[in-house]
Amino acid sequence: MVSIQIRHLTKHFGSTLALDDVNLTIESGEMFFLLGPSGCGKTTLLRHIAGFYTPDQGQLLFDQRDITNLPPHKRNTAMMFQSYALWPHLTVGENVAFGLEERKLPRAQIDSRVQESLQMVRLGHLADRKINQLSGGQQQRVALARSLAVRPDALLLDEPLSNLDAKLRLEMRSEIRRICKEFGVTAVYVTHDQKEALHLADRLAVMEKGAISQIGTPRDIFRSPRSASVAAFIGEANFLPAHFLASTGPGPLATARTAHGLFTGRLTDPTWHPSPGEPVQLCLRPEALRLSDQPDLPNRIGGRLIDSIYLGELAQYAVQDPAGTTFHVSELNPALLRPADQSVVSLTAAPDDVMILRA
Amino acid sequence: MKRLPTYGFLLFILLAMGCFFVYPIYHTVREAFTKPGGGFTLEYIGQIFGNPLYREGLGNALKMAAGSTLGALLLALPLALLSARFAFPGKALLGALVLVPLILPPFVGTIGVKQILGQHGALNALLMPSQVASGYPADWLGHGRLLGVILMNALHLYPILYLNITASLANLDPALDEAAENLGCPPWRRFWRITLPLAMPGLFAGASIVFIWGFTELGVPLMFDFPRVTPVQIFDGIKEIGGNPLPYALVAIMLVASLLLFLLSKCLFGRSDFAGTGRASMAAQTPTLKGARGWLATAAFSSIILLAVLPHCGVTLTSLATDWNDTVLPSGFTLQHYRDALSHGLTVPSIINSLKYAGLATALDVVLGVTIAWIVVRTRLPGRHLLDALAMLPIAVPGLVLAFGYLAMTREGQPFHWLIGANEDPYWIIVIAYAIRRLPYVVRSASAGLQQTSVSLEEAAQNLGCSPFRTLCRITLPLIAANLIAGALLAFSFGMLEVSDSLILAQKGEHFPITKAIYNLNGALGNGEALASALGVWAMVFLSITLLGTGLLLGKKMGALFRA
Repeated sequence: MVSIQIRHLTKHFGSTLALDDVNLTIESGEMFFLLGPSGCGKTTLLRHIAGFYTPDQGQLLFDQRDITNLPPHKRNTAMMFQSYALWPHLTVGENVAFGLEERKLPRAQIDSRVQESLQMVRLGHLADRKINQLSGGQQQRVALARSLAVRPDALLLDEPLSNLDAKLRLEMRSEIRRICKEFGVTAVYVTHDQKEALHLADRLAVMEKGAISQIGTPRDIFRSPRSASVAAFIGEANFLPAHFLASTGPGPLATARTAHGLFTGRLTDPTWHPSPGEPVQLCLRPEALRLSDQPDLPNRIGGRLIDSIYLGELAQYAVQDPAGTTFHVSELNPALLRPADQSVVSLTAAPDDVMILRA
Repeated sequence: MKRLPTYGFLLFILLAMGCFFVYPIYHTVREAFTKPGGGFTLEYIGQIFGNPLYREGLGNALKMAAGSTLGALLLALPLALLSARFAFPGKALLGALVLVPLILPPFVGTIGVKQILGQHGALNALLMPSQVASGYPADWLGHGRLLGVILMNALHLYPILYLNITASLANLDPALDEAAENLGCPPWRRFWRITLPLAMPGLFAGASIVFIWGFTELGVPLMFDFPRVTPVQIFDGIKEIGGNPLPYALVAIMLVASLLLFLLSKCLFGRSDFAGTGRASMAAQTPTLKGARGWLATAAFSSIILLAVLPHCGVTLTSLATDWNDTVLPSGFTLQHYRDALSHGLTVPSIINSLKYAGLATALDVVLGVTIAWIVVRTRLPGRHLLDALAMLPIAVPGLVLAFGYLAMTREGQPFHWLIGANEDPYWIIVIAYAIRRLPYVVRSASAGLQQTSVSLEEAAQNLGCSPFRTLCRITLPLIAANLIAGALLAFSFGMLEVSDSLILAQKGEHFPITKAIYNLNGALGNGEALASALGVWAMVFLSITLLGTGLLLGKKMGALFRA
């Protein structure tokens, strides 16, 4: 396994800028996620690592070794394709053996490695099957076994779960993490599913318009998004315009003035020091807001309850303030559901849950 | 870095197409417009249009083309609609048998048709024995025999239209039709307002190929002794090719007419073929026709197929007959003609020649075809569209034109004379001619295969350490093998059946391919027709096996092969 360094990677497709000066270091053995909406450049970046694209500018390094111009078949990466790309004219065993044959391993070793890889994904008994005799979930595992059999320096996964049904997807999620960690392989995983990323990633990068918006651990990114777009992409978010007042402490705590009065919140970017009076945005997660009838609370938003939805494990409410902005609130494990009766209610959040972001 | 070899291939193929496709055409056209001392002239073209004989020839060629297309359309359209819309008894078998006419070179079929419809043929013996006895039976083939030529062409060519129409009907999303039904459109109006307009591109694509084919058909009018038609006039003009520019002018006129028609069909229906709007998202419902209606459909199919195999029956019977004049069936049967045909000095060498020519041409086509298809489908090289267009164009250029061009450019003193071996051996130029003419079929089938094969299957192999060339051998070629074999079989069997290149380029007996041997045997005194038929039957058996294989491998996709 290797560490991967990406330096100033830039790529144009015609006149579209697909990658815009991307810089990134992925540690050896790390499970790293590239997350972003479709068209953000995450798959393009992954295909650069695999070598299917050559960058216009910039460098790719595996363990300090420059591989920018190395053709794909000499990189020793293994990619799991969204469509799995299993060869229909070969059996399960032949598919898994393919990469080993290309590495000219002795036959006996190939056979034992194929068996070992198939057992790892719990398909040891299906080596002689044809690909089209397998279910979607089984195909997905064969693709994983084929990738891991060659002991790649890096495993590249391109939305590997997007073709599975919801239940199987949950099952395979944990399975992939278990297997990757068992092999200790450096894995780069592309997805647009934030749940998948939060669940599996050691660290992740959120991408937008060909550039990286933020890199961090799942908790970092979820709790301390540096921009409104990252906050909106990971999890749900309510935004409230404000003017910065002052850093009050302790730590990153600060105050800002809104149409709903004074709010105490947390600056998510430690390198950012807004000046008093500067316009900012407050970001409030629905699950961080609490619905209450008390009129006199800190960090309070007043409004009317206009919608309520019961979802079993949680209840979702919509509250509209006098200016017409709608705030979404969710309550976990609701004992009862309040009717959407236009009654006047209050929303409140702990200072640590109010994120102060650039406007 | 990795693009360099690809550019090399691209250049090589463009060069080859330039030398052996563009240059012969250019050479012919130039001769048609050049004065003896050099300089541009329209004099020869003017002479053609001033000469009533040539004018009549052109008029007849147009009639031949229009008649053949109309006839083929009348035969093919009802069958295609029946088979696309309904299930009925024996459909699978009948659907395969529809292709039977393709297995016999039409000019061989002519022998059979003359035996059946001729003044002393089987039909007259069956219908009007009294007139036969009196010596003035009806002449079914009509005045000047143009009707016979048209009939023969239509019967030979309707499968091409049938394949095109069924392919384009099969590609239609049934939802398009259902939407109209849902909006209250009755079946018959749906056919006129939805189905037919959507099937039009396929229909027109097929029709334009049939039209060009009919316009430039040489073998059939030649065998019907119908000289006043342009292709035959060109063929006759070859003897004086050295000094006379008129054959060149005739060829140039044919070329322009064919290309205009081809461009017209492209402009009218575009290259998009409506496919983008209407790919089938689900299988079409084909209701089964029950009882009498089902058998009626079967009967309609069978009778057209029966009509289409009449020439084949005629040829087979002729090859087995001791004597067949003024009787419904031959008066006696014998295998003597097969023995005679085999012992004839022309036969065995011609079979071997044909196998060599067609085999080598096919090998060349496969190598070129895969490379071209790969460049067009898998790379973004500038110039790949030009390559695609060039590779498909031989479908629209009459074989006669190319054959003439090859002959002209390999004459003594011309730049490609070195291709002619010792003793005027046209070996290489025939192989090249066969290869260029059939290249579109192989390119089409290979690129169809590549388009259906996901790129990620190749990327997965490279990603696992396989070099690009090994990926081609281990992954790509096995995956598109069925398409390649089908394209190659087609190229090979059409090579074996080749008429215009063969008749024009092979001048000496020892270089004759099988079609020219059949043509020459037919002209032999005595039992010539029977000998030619015997050789024709052999070719028929051989080709039915290859075409059956193609059909099995390709299924419905076969229709796509006959499009440009």
